[in-house]
Amino acid sequence: MPDKLNREAAERLSRALHEPSWLVERRMAAFDVFEKLEPPDPKGEEWRYTDVRRFDFDRFDAPVPTEGVPELSPEAAARGVIVTDLWSAARDHPELLEEHFFTEVPIQEHKFTALHGAFLSDGVLVYVPRGVEVEMPLSIARRMAGGGSVFPHTTVVVDEQASLTFVDRFGSEDLSEPSLCASVVEVEARRGATVNYISLQQWGRSVHHFQTQRFTGHRDSTVRSLAVNLGSAFARTQVESVLKGEGSFSEMLGLYFADSEQHFAQRTLQSHNAAHTTSDLLYKGALKERSRSEYSGLIKVLRGAQGTDAYQANRNLLLSEDSMARSIPQLEIEANEVRCTHGATVSPVEEEHLFYLMSRGIDRVTAQKLVVFGFFGDVLDRIRVAEVREGLANAIAAKVEGGQSLEVAA
Amino acid sequence: MSETLLQIEDLHVEVEGREILTGLDLIIGKGEIHAIMGPNGSGKSTLAYVLTGRPGYEVTAGKMLYKGEDISPLAPDERAKAGIFLAFQYPTEVPGVSVVNFLRTAYNAIHPEDQKAAMAFRLFLQEKIDLLEIPTELVDRYVNQGFSGGEKKRNEILQMAVLSPELAIMDETDSGLDIDALKHVSGGVNKLAGPEVGIVLITHYQRLLNYIHPDVVHVLMGGRIARSGGFELAEQLEAEGYEGLAKELGLSVQDIEEVAREEGAS
Repeated sequence: MPDKLNREAAERLSRALHEPSWLVERRMAAFDVFEKLEPPDPKGEEWRYTDVRRFDFDRFDAPVPTEGVPELSPEAAARGVIVTDLWSAARDHPELLEEHFFTEVPIQEHKFTALHGAFLSDGVLVYVPRGVEVEMPLSIARRMAGGGSVFPHTTVVVDEQASLTFVDRFGSEDLSEPSLCASVVEVEARRGATVNYISLQQWGRSVHHFQTQRFTGHRDSTVRSLAVNLGSAFARTQVESVLKGEGSFSEMLGLYFADSEQHFAQRTLQSHNAAHTTSDLLYKGALKERSRSEYSGLIKVLRGAQGTDAYQANRNLLLSEDSMARSIPQLEIEANEVRCTHGATVSPVEEEHLFYLMSRGIDRVTAQKLVVFGFFGDVLDRIRVAEVREGLANAIAAKVEGGQSLEVAA
Repeated sequence: MSETLLQIEDLHVEVEGREILTGLDLIIGKGEIHAIMGPNGSGKSTLAYVLTGRPGYEVTAGKMLYKGEDISPLAPDERAKAGIFLAFQYPTEVPGVSVVNFLRTAYNAIHPEDQKAAMAFRLFLQEKIDLLEIPTELVDRYVNQGFSGGEKKRNEILQMAVLSPELAIMDETDSGLDIDALKHVSGGVNKLAGPEVGIVLITHYQRLLNYIHPDVVHVLMGGRIARSGGFELAEQLEAEGYEGLAKELGLSVQDIEEVAREEGAS
């Protein structure tokens, strides 16, 4: 019998991974926090509509340690780029790891980050030295076995004037037993750096996925994120851009397409902590059958962040009468010279559009595909990794075609 | 008499429980151009929509035979594949879908034997664009989005040119056009007309018929064809209005327009 998510399992993981004492202490401290913390309160804005108070952690087996890191080109390695799993990092780059690991996202942030800290089993650290531009995107695939759990961690540090694209893929077959993923992503862009981070969630249908992504932008940096949710039974994705340095910029894209009984909850934060910072957020989702989604996004402008320019849009397309999308924008502004724009829409596919397309000989499913592609077009156009863009186009087409027949809201 | 393309017999159509077509008969032959005129609310657009299979337009009695086959059970796309085309009075905007992508999808759906790849289709489309003297940039924009009234109508004619239907129904293709745009659009229709295509011109006014000369003129009133004749019938209507004819038929134009207003408001 494999272990469940208990103290012994956490200790066993530490031993199996030959962790140095400071990592062991941190892991066990995380376990204590996990045990102590109440589940997030659905009455608060951050977890509204995501009630995990009765979430049963005993269903899941403890994780099996996973090795494997993205492949790095010899040229990039020669220029000092580091791509390593967390345990090799503990041996080979201890200062780097101690400085950056679990710093942007604290273990005690909520029950799932603490759980993540206690059962960390699959982690990667990427460091790009000053001035180095990594041209080829780095890509890592996270896997999972049925009934199991996985706790992937991604820490990315891009030093001054350097650049990197990182693709985090979460995927499995449809699993028969409930499985769990709790992931943490920390990305730091130092002065003038450019980071492009993409997370592709395409788990099988029995997976519960919790992810917290936090991006820190220093002076004149550019941070682009794309959060994709297509798979899993339930996914909660929290994506936060914290613009700490003057002149920093963050683009935040989201794409989700739910069907059957899938439920996606998304929380975003655009935090403007310094003057002349810009954020541009676009989250778009389509919903089919009885699926539902929530989006809640906060634009926060701290005192002194004059000249902030923040944009936030969430658009939802309903492909069935039984699907549902909620959208809650929020603003907290403490500076007075700012421009903040936000907008949210939830609208059904128009029968009118389908009839027009069908009247030209296009069958109903293809017409729906055209309308859905048209809807996602502006997000897809902004994805800079061609392979990801094409993969998503195929996944969207398969979603429109697949599953139960589409009934479209009148 | 040319070969019969469309034969409508005693057609009754209901929309939201209200009977709009009340026993319409019409025969269109291959290569013929028929004008269907009538006041607002007489059922002209209903005829266009029921022929193309728009949801919500229910045939309660009668028949629509296209090349001898009853088309009532066919979905809109199947009718288009059979060669029926509607130029919409109010073409629909489809966000995020480019005209060229839309038209290639439609062309390939209608011509399973002649699948065109992107480049080949582009060349084929350019021929049609040149023929109709349409600005090329139009086809790279999203379908009808931000188009002027004239551009929307030109885009409809371009679609007709690409899909080369055998039966083309033009629903108030003249509405909302200034005289230059009207000349341009009707010039396009004339280029596409020919012995292989039957054309139904639905219009409120005679002015379109000065540019596209019909073989037969029908007046639709009270949900059926009230009178048919030659071009002189259109001229008579232009001179006397619909009221004279309505009185002759014991109908009131005011009543008919009242219905149209209610429908517009609902």
